[in-house]
Amino acid sequence: MNIMERFISSWQKYRKPGYYEDFDYAWTMSIDLDRCTGCSACVTACQAENNIPIVGEKELAKGREMHWIRIERYWEGEYPNAKLKFIPMLCQQCDAAPCETVCPVSATYHNQDGLNTQVYNRCIGTRSCAVYCPYEVRYFNYNSHHWDSPLDQQLNPDVSVREKGVMEKCTFCIQRVRQAKDHAKDDGRRRVQEGDIQPACVQTCPSEALVFGDRKDSNSKVAKSLADPRAYHVLDELNTLPSVVYLKKVDSDG
Amino acid sequence: MGAGGGFMLAESIKHPVEHLIPYAVPPEEFSSGIATWYNSICGMCPAGCGISVRTREGRAKKIEGNPSHPVNQGRLCALGQAGLQVLYNPDRLTAPMLQSGERGSGEFVQTTWNEGLSEVASRLSASTNNDGIYFVSEGVRGHLANLFELFMNELGSANLLHYDFAHPHSLYAANNHLFGERQLPYYDIRNSRYLLSFGADYLNDWLSPVHHGLGFGHSRQGNGDARGRFVQIEPRMSISGASADEWIPATPGSEGILALGIAQQILAGGNYQGTDADDWNAALATYSAAYVEDKTGVPADTVARIASEFSHAEPGLAIGGGAAGNHTNGVDTLVAVNALNYLVGNIGKPGGVVFNPDPVVGSSTAGRQANFAAMQDLAENARQGAIEVLIINNTNPLFTLPPGAGLKEALASIPLVVSLSSFMDETTAMADIILPSHTYLESWGDDMPQPGVGFSVGAVSQPVVSPLYNTRATGDIILGLAGKMGLGEAMGWDSMEDYIKDGWRNVYERSSPDAGGFDSFWREVLTSGAWGENTRNSNSVVIDKQVIDNIAVAEAEFSGNPDEYPFVLHPYLSTTLYDGRGANLPWMQELPDPMTSIVYGSWVELNPQTANEMGIQDGDLLRITSEHGSIEVPAVTFPAIMPDVVAMPIGQGHEEFGRYARNRGSNPIQILAPNMDAVSGSLATSATRVSLAQTGRRAAPVKTGGESRQLGRNIVQSTGADGDSAGHSAKLNSIPIVVDPA
Repeated sequence: MNIMERFISSWQKYRKPGYYEDFDYAWTMSIDLDRCTGCSACVTACQAENNIPIVGEKELAKGREMHWIRIERYWEGEYPNAKLKFIPMLCQQCDAAPCETVCPVSATYHNQDGLNTQVYNRCIGTRSCAVYCPYEVRYFNYNSHHWDSPLDQQLNPDVSVREKGVMEKCTFCIQRVRQAKDHAKDDGRRRVQEGDIQPACVQTCPSEALVFGDRKDSNSKVAKSLADPRAYHVLDELNTLPSVVYLKKVDSDG
Repeated sequence: MGAGGGFMLAESIKHPVEHLIPYAVPPEEFSSGIATWYNSICGMCPAGCGISVRTREGRAKKIEGNPSHPVNQGRLCALGQAGLQVLYNPDRLTAPMLQSGERGSGEFVQTTWNEGLSEVASRLSASTNNDGIYFVSEGVRGHLANLFELFMNELGSANLLHYDFAHPHSLYAANNHLFGERQLPYYDIRNSRYLLSFGADYLNDWLSPVHHGLGFGHSRQGNGDARGRFVQIEPRMSISGASADEWIPATPGSEGILALGIAQQILAGGNYQGTDADDWNAALATYSAAYVEDKTGVPADTVARIASEFSHAEPGLAIGGGAAGNHTNGVDTLVAVNALNYLVGNIGKPGGVVFNPDPVVGSSTAGRQANFAAMQDLAENARQGAIEVLIINNTNPLFTLPPGAGLKEALASIPLVVSLSSFMDETTAMADIILPSHTYLESWGDDMPQPGVGFSVGAVSQPVVSPLYNTRATGDIILGLAGKMGLGEAMGWDSMEDYIKDGWRNVYERSSPDAGGFDSFWREVLTSGAWGENTRNSNSVVIDKQVIDNIAVAEAEFSGNPDEYPFVLHPYLSTTLYDGRGANLPWMQELPDPMTSIVYGSWVELNPQTANEMGIQDGDLLRITSEHGSIEVPAVTFPAIMPDVVAMPIGQGHEEFGRYARNRGSNPIQILAPNMDAVSGSLATSATRVSLAQTGRRAAPVKTGGESRQLGRNIVQSTGADGDSAGHSAKLNSIPIVVDPA
């Protein structure tokens, strides 16, 4: 077996479909593009919940946006038949995440819930993960960020503030997941139930386009979304096995 | 030796005490490390959503929607989320201040509340003419509105005005004209199957956007196979236009003619069976397909198709607002839109227009709303020397009124200007005395949302954190002034909290007087944050023959002749900054505009074809000139705007208002003509023509988004209405994976 064959063989083992079925939970988000209005409430909700820094106009001009969830917009056609389509884009929590295999220090790994997590104090800032991420949803701290006092009083004590040189990204609000699990344990329940957890973006979505849940629970809304004929994954051809499922926009005129 | 001494000294200087937990004696419900949630009311826009604020260790950490509030049902918009940055804004006013230099010089000295209140009270008492006292407030409701009434009544002045830039004056006037109801009805988008919106950006800024968002989502995908259809008519695609199934550009100001054209088609198709059908036929005879096509630019067959779809939708709902209501014929237009609702018979029905009951607490403030004409009168009275004291509460007319109103110059003739505000905005900077108010997260208050949701809703707001600075709640400032002036008999409450609690005894009496006493009722209201009463009005409307006979839409008038000023300026409320009040919030400055992905700036949108013909590239700095002034703004090509229209967001261009807002972008209101709607007297913001000129400089706005076309990447996928006709495979993980047998 030459080196190439060995590489392909281990790669295939790693990508065995359904390996995530062994996880405790399989957190999934479904995003209905037919409901999404592009209002961007999710973006600000996430910024408030996750201590996402204010980077300033100069840094933004260099392409150093930090929003963990963003609204991408795509124009189709020309006037007067121009259409604009929105799509919320966030970490897809891939089960076969390209970012994980390239981290030299395993700062990003898969946890027992099938989440793609980032260990901030293990990260050495090579930025390889951001290069490999096909969804462009990893954000690097080029600076240590500053909150003009007293804006810092708003910072969420359940989420760490990231330093210069560290990569960060959407966590599916892991602090809320942890808390819900603790509560379930305290209540004597074995498992977290549908509706116990809502990440900040899902919680605030006015048109209820975003839904969160455990796809291993066959009665959950997300499990039903996966079975919807409109369901698709973005960049499906890359076989990243995302945990974010989109429901196609209905284009009633063709 | 010296270095060592210095080191010793530095080490021995005591660091300031940092209070991790800002309470000496924490309240009962407080425990360290555990979040406490308080239900309250959002104060960021007039919609009046309910909020739940998460606090930890006495600090507000996160705002979420209150699930038991019927308006937003747990949801919230971006601006509502950013309310925390109002509370913790580094540029807040922290203590009462007196102008020490010339007015407008920005020189203030701190004073005490006692001195500040005494000074204002003595000037109020000394005023020779009671009607020389003016009070201009932001739009408020509930007990605060009552308190203002009471206070001005005691002072003997009738000059109490509520001023909001985005207040839908023309909609109130139109509802009054056609239905005899001077109020905002409930537009039941959730249950409508076909929404026809004339310029109303209902998902972004119109009336109650979060509630409309809920309705939109449900109508789209919450009804099984019955998917609601949304049609948006406007010269520049808004957020609602982008979300609609069909976007129809119509000549600015012709929206009402289009509505009557659709109405005429409904009648011609025999789809209206009312006894007054003949009256309608006679009134709408002018609005033939050919006439409408000529005036609006919308093809006759499109008008006919929409009329047919709309009248067969069961129920169809027509709404109008935004730019369509802000022309010189705004009320005509909105009356025409209302007529569509009448003709398809959706008044008082689910999925239609439902009139709201009168507010349970507080009285309707409809008569107090100051339109542009009223603000012009105010400026004129000031110039005549008829205003002795002007009190301004948390509204910023110097930013949101066109210079043509002459208010800024008129202020010079007012001997005393008092501002009650949390921030040094443009208007507050011109004040002589600043009595800084709490933010809504530190204040007691209550609210009956307008528009409601078809039944009586009341909500109470409570302080979620202890006040950060030496500020006071607006109600308490007024009570303080009343106390100083000896108005104690009529206004003898110790605090706003007492006043509200007193008033809610009436609500208690009417709802459940025997359920455990008022105290337990009050606790319940505070815990849930909202109170409701299921009293849906089932109103049917009869329209006078005379009103029907006179239905017509006048031609919209514009300032500037088309040869010199070839473009119609379409200013719109910014998605992120609303009417400019969001400009001092860094989260909102950094939130990309969803349509263009621009952050931190202003821009002017123009059709790519127009830009091409004029040799304008994205990012070229243009000079936009109207008859009333000019501003410089970078150009952005925008695929969904009419070729002879240019659009600009309102919100930037502040001269004051803190570090995040100041000297950033430009304010299109600065070049608006002081045109008014003929009936309602509201500012016709869309009635200004402009010309464009290259400055030869570039100032590309900062964008966060990349390529704005999909280029075959299939990121946003679509499907046909009847299944998978677009041909994409819906199967997940379509590429087979070879599994290692080992």
